[in-house]
Amino acid sequence: MATASELSPTRTELIRLRRREALAKTGHDLLEEKMDALVMELFSVLRRMQELRASAFDQLERAHRALSSCFAAMGTQETVQAARETVKSVELEVSTRNLMGIVLPVIERPSAVRNALGRGYSMHGTSALLDRAALEFEKALELLVPLAVAEAEAFAIAEELESTKRRVNALEYILIPRLREAIKFIMMRLDEIERENFSRLKRIKKIMEEREWTRSA
Amino acid sequence: MDPERLIEKELARLNAHLPRAQISLAEALRSERPGVETRDGTFHSFGRDELSLLSRLLEEGMWGELRLPIIIWMSRGMGSGAAVIRGKPEVRVISALLGRPAEGSELVIYRPEVAVIRSRLPTTTQYAFTR
Repeated sequence: MATASELSPTRTELIRLRRREALAKTGHDLLEEKMDALVMELFSVLRRMQELRASAFDQLERAHRALSSCFAAMGTQETVQAARETVKSVELEVSTRNLMGIVLPVIERPSAVRNALGRGYSMHGTSALLDRAALEFEKALELLVPLAVAEAEAFAIAEELESTKRRVNALEYILIPRLREAIKFIMMRLDEIERENFSRLKRIKKIMEEREWTRSA
Repeated sequence: MDPERLIEKELARLNAHLPRAQISLAEALRSERPGVETRDGTFHSFGRDELSLLSRLLEEGMWGELRLPIIIWMSRGMGSGAAVIRGKPEVRVISALLGRPAEGSELVIYRPEVAVIRSRLPTTTQYAFTR
């Protein structure tokens, strides 16, 4: 952006600056609108996160209680051995969604709950309490996946919000005031030039009138 | 870079998340991987729960007319926080979701209503920013 001394005080420059100011104002308004929408989205994700976290923690508590009962009934060694034999993968359908330019992960409701045979450990020599503990942990996993997604969403939205806010502030506090200052400067200079021209014309008129008067006298 | 070009670039980026082409609810329900490609080249998928909610809110005869994602037009010209939903089936669905009577093919909504819509339909609605 040119400094006041570098600006050429012409009508063309004034029109150009006014056009620039209008564009900056539009950009500012639209980015502010986007910022408001991002804030709304962030609050919605945070609310969802809070609910999910509470239910995931409740479920994890239930799962750990079930695991403690299993340790007591089956013994630690046997439980750990059964855990080693368990199939440790869960199939997830992962996709993406685009929220105002932010690409967010989408995981369709995961189904982590398996039947006792699908878990992989031997049915022989294991207790029903182990099945119960495994079931409770699988249920917890079904809540932890959306919680992880919600947390990733919250971070991504917060980051975008920050960069949008930076842009809004740059327009609001730097670019638009500078443009307004430049417009004001050019308008003042143009007014000054106009005043100079006016007084010059008056002076010329006076001189011509004086000459006319001496000639006629 | 020239600030003017920077602003223009920023304005162009603002709506890059909009779909290249919308698809109908009927197509989305039939699709194995329901979603659309956005202008910036990413894939925007629709949640199956949301599709089933939409199919419950709209008569089956209109499934082919409802274009997804539903665009929420955010316009500063209407005042801060106001948005518009355009299209007859779109207005019907959103009105049903908000518990309002459906009238005409344009519906003006405000920020609290936008929040309700977005929380119920996070993937099947999209924001668009206009002057």
